[in-house]
Amino acid sequence: MQNNLECLKNKATVEVVNDSNQVGSSSQIRSTHGNKVRYHRKAESEFFVDNSALAGFTGERILYMAVRELLENALDSCEISHILPVINLQLRILDPDNDLWLIACKDNGVGIPADKVPVAVCSFLTSGKYVEKQQRGLFGVGLKMIAAFSTKDTDHPLRVWSKSQDEPEWYFDLRTDIGTNKPIVLSRRIISQSEREIDGEFGFKVEAVLRARLSPVTRNKIYDYISHTSVVNPYAILTFESDEGVVTFERRTTAMPNPAKEVLPHPADMDLKTLRKAILNHEHQKTTLHGVLCSSFQKMSAEKAREIIVRAGLELKSADKYNEHELIHVVNICKHTKFQSPNTEHLSPIGEKILTAGMSSEYAVLVRKDPNDSSAPQTQLSARVYKPSLTAYSSRACVINNRPTIVECGITYGGDIASFKLYRFANKIPLLYDEGSDVAREVISEVEINKMGISKKEVKEQFRNSETRSERAIEYLPIHIFFHICSTKIPYKTAGKESIAAEGDLKRYMKACLSDLYRKVSAQIRREMKIKENENKLRLYKHYIPFIVNAIAESIKIDEKKLTSAFHLLAQKYVGNELLIMAESESNTAAEPSNQNLTEITTYEKSLPDLAKFKNKSKFEMSRKKTVSQVHRQKQDPVQVTLDRYKKSIPKSKRL
Amino acid sequence: MPAKDKKHREVISKIKVIMKRVSDDVILNQAMPSLELPKIGYDNTIWSEEKRMLAIGNKTIMVGPHNAKKIPTFSQYLVMANAIRRLLDEEMESTIRGMYYATLSTVGDEKNKQKFWNGQEDSDDAIKAIELMTNVPREEFSVTSKPKGMISGPISLLVGGDLIDCNLGSRATSQLIPTNIRDLEIVDVKADFVMVVEKDTVLNNIRKSGFIQKYNAILLTGSGEPDRATRMMVKTLNERWKKPVVIFADADPWGLGIALRYKIGSESLSYDSDRLVTPDAKVLGMMFSDIYDYNIPEVARLAVTDEDLNRANDMKKKPWLQDRKWKKELNLFLERKEKCELDAFFKHGFKFLADTYLPNKLREAGVI
Repeated sequence: MQNNLECLKNKATVEVVNDSNQVGSSSQIRSTHGNKVRYHRKAESEFFVDNSALAGFTGERILYMAVRELLENALDSCEISHILPVINLQLRILDPDNDLWLIACKDNGVGIPADKVPVAVCSFLTSGKYVEKQQRGLFGVGLKMIAAFSTKDTDHPLRVWSKSQDEPEWYFDLRTDIGTNKPIVLSRRIISQSEREIDGEFGFKVEAVLRARLSPVTRNKIYDYISHTSVVNPYAILTFESDEGVVTFERRTTAMPNPAKEVLPHPADMDLKTLRKAILNHEHQKTTLHGVLCSSFQKMSAEKAREIIVRAGLELKSADKYNEHELIHVVNICKHTKFQSPNTEHLSPIGEKILTAGMSSEYAVLVRKDPNDSSAPQTQLSARVYKPSLTAYSSRACVINNRPTIVECGITYGGDIASFKLYRFANKIPLLYDEGSDVAREVISEVEINKMGISKKEVKEQFRNSETRSERAIEYLPIHIFFHICSTKIPYKTAGKESIAAEGDLKRYMKACLSDLYRKVSAQIRREMKIKENENKLRLYKHYIPFIVNAIAESIKIDEKKLTSAFHLLAQKYVGNELLIMAESESNTAAEPSNQNLTEITTYEKSLPDLAKFKNKSKFEMSRKKTVSQVHRQKQDPVQVTLDRYKKSIPKSKRL
Repeated sequence: MPAKDKKHREVISKIKVIMKRVSDDVILNQAMPSLELPKIGYDNTIWSEEKRMLAIGNKTIMVGPHNAKKIPTFSQYLVMANAIRRLLDEEMESTIRGMYYATLSTVGDEKNKQKFWNGQEDSDDAIKAIELMTNVPREEFSVTSKPKGMISGPISLLVGGDLIDCNLGSRATSQLIPTNIRDLEIVDVKADFVMVVEKDTVLNNIRKSGFIQKYNAILLTGSGEPDRATRMMVKTLNERWKKPVVIFADADPWGLGIALRYKIGSESLSYDSDRLVTPDAKVLGMMFSDIYDYNIPEVARLAVTDEDLNRANDMKKKPWLQDRKWKKELNLFLERKEKCELDAFFKHGFKFLADTYLPNKLREAGVI
């Protein structure tokens, strides 16, 4: 018995061992013979087409992204030479059965030199924008994506007209060789005088056919995108043509933001890659490491550079003779050395004047259904301008992620504005998706509205009839809040670049900005609220007086008309008196500031002759004309304040 | 067509005076009109030691369009006054719900449309306001509520000319107490005493057991919160017909509150206490101590809520619950934190309530 058991046990173990041996060996065989790993290189174009989501080109969003990329490129190429942009964008259905769309964009920017056009349009990761300054596009992907998709899905070539300085107008038919990331030039020629597409000194036009679907949601996002873009680019004329009609966003100011300057990298941001690139740039000049450091990084004095090399313990030799182990010492030392704060010349904030011009003449695209006309275009596009009754602006400069960052914030209130809306911009690009997870949302819900001198209860009572169902009092107000973050490295939350994360002190600075604005507009808001309250009161009288008069007239003999008019008169006198008392008490307490405001308003209007002209255009009916009152204490454009000055004021702003 | 009834003519002329005053203010005096009426509610209710009931204080409120929030209220009062005048002119009568429907309307334009009344509570309040302004209870101007009080026993009523004997031999049903009290007359009362219970379910049980015949009693209930007609019926039986009144309600602060409606009145109707309250009524049960004296099993006891405790603490401070017996009861409740419905006696058998508990209590109080 005992033996038997022993025997069984042994047998079992032997079997198990055998079994595992077999399994092991067989799997090994399979991996070595069946699945041989082959390595090959993929072209950039193939990679991006396969992973189009990386660039945001996903199903529904293809046309939205195409509009976005083209518009951003057009604006960038105008601003680079400080040209007031005139941009024409077209989006038309070409073949409804096959979902083919024609998209075209024409601008008056600097254009692309003829010899560079094919590469600039078709080859991925080729861009004139790989420099340290704020620009809309950075990656050299957008236009190439359109070219690749057009090649992939249709047999139409990409048509390009380009006229750059000192060159005639060139025309190209292009397709992308997706397998090699190289352009295929089907034809190229100089355009004759009669066929010219570009009217001015220079310009660029691209026309592509894309296969895509356009849902109503995406269609509205495109409209939103264009109207938001016009808010931060009021100096541009944008024309959007579609099958539903043409909308033109007029130019409201001739002022343009200072173009961003290319700057040297800041040493605090140095890494092995930047250092080696700097050395490579000086390769044949026999420059010392000291020379490379001084000429390739900002805020690097001769003294500082010498100190760094000494502290890194490196001997002096030609810069290209150092190996990586020696160079990493330099990088490490730089990380631990104090430098002056980076300058902000490479940033291009919108600025108070321009943002105010944009905010105070905000366009909205209206889609109107015409029930009488059942023929092909069922909807009609038109634009409407919203005139607020007051605007305010505030900005802060700060350092987020080692990069200088400028936060700009604006508010418009009342007038034609009917409800709450948040506008988010990053480097002048509107952000339309993922609003809920954006830091701006948090900022708005965390800054108490009683900074405006009004209580939540008051707001909810006054604006109860609006359609807002939100619990947040701020969303009951007819207020638009604008946030613009500019930096060379925006802390996006996701790869889709649609919402910004609350990185570092960003949220604190945004909150300070918003609080600032709330305080600035508090007096005006209070007055607006009072006016609104009185309007509500008068409406109540208007609605209830007929009931009262009717009840009385049915019961006793009375002249109904006389009673009605006497009652209305009484109500008006009553509400009017209250306004008068309020106005008196206000002028007593704040006589001086209000005078100051008045002069500021006039100078503001003078400085914007375009806006004044624009106001007179009868094409855009302005139902209510209200003075745009400017509120600002700081005479100096706050964006000009350098970071050095800002640093001094840190303790003050911390107290906020 | 002028109303025939003298009381109705009085109400109509009072309403016309109000209307005239408002229009004179607007046209002649160029001033915001306003209506002054006594304030209703707990902060204008006082305890009258002499009358042993709640009475209304001297606080008044001004309702007028000078206050934006009061514009709707002001117009509601005038619209209701006019509707009542029309009702009387047409010699019709209506329930309070009928008045609500008769005056339904919307206010405002397409953009800001609102209901004239937010609900029937608003229109009920407006009717109350007319009562206060004219100093005439609404029953006198033919606005009544749906009847809900019930009566059973040796009593006969004359309702609108029809004689109704409430001592129904079949023991099967009770008579609703009519709310249009102007058309109601008590012809004869043969009972020895009047017993009021909180709910109709309990009343049905007691009636079915033959209690009425055995003890020669009138059974009465307000089915929860008693309406005005029920309260007035109790008062009339006690004061005009000299019948002792005993009250039984559930052993919880809510039930005690209902019992006290009959005995001392209520805050919302304190202006009408003289017509509604029966100070000599005796609240005999159900006492909190009865839960333990009659061994109500634990499953039939209910847990108290925070609201119950607050109410009980509140009651302890009231001047009308200051005698030692009530203090002891309330303290017992606050200590044991248990409450109980009269229906819980059914756990001891269906006849226990009528055959044992009630006779015991009545004997203790010397009613039988």
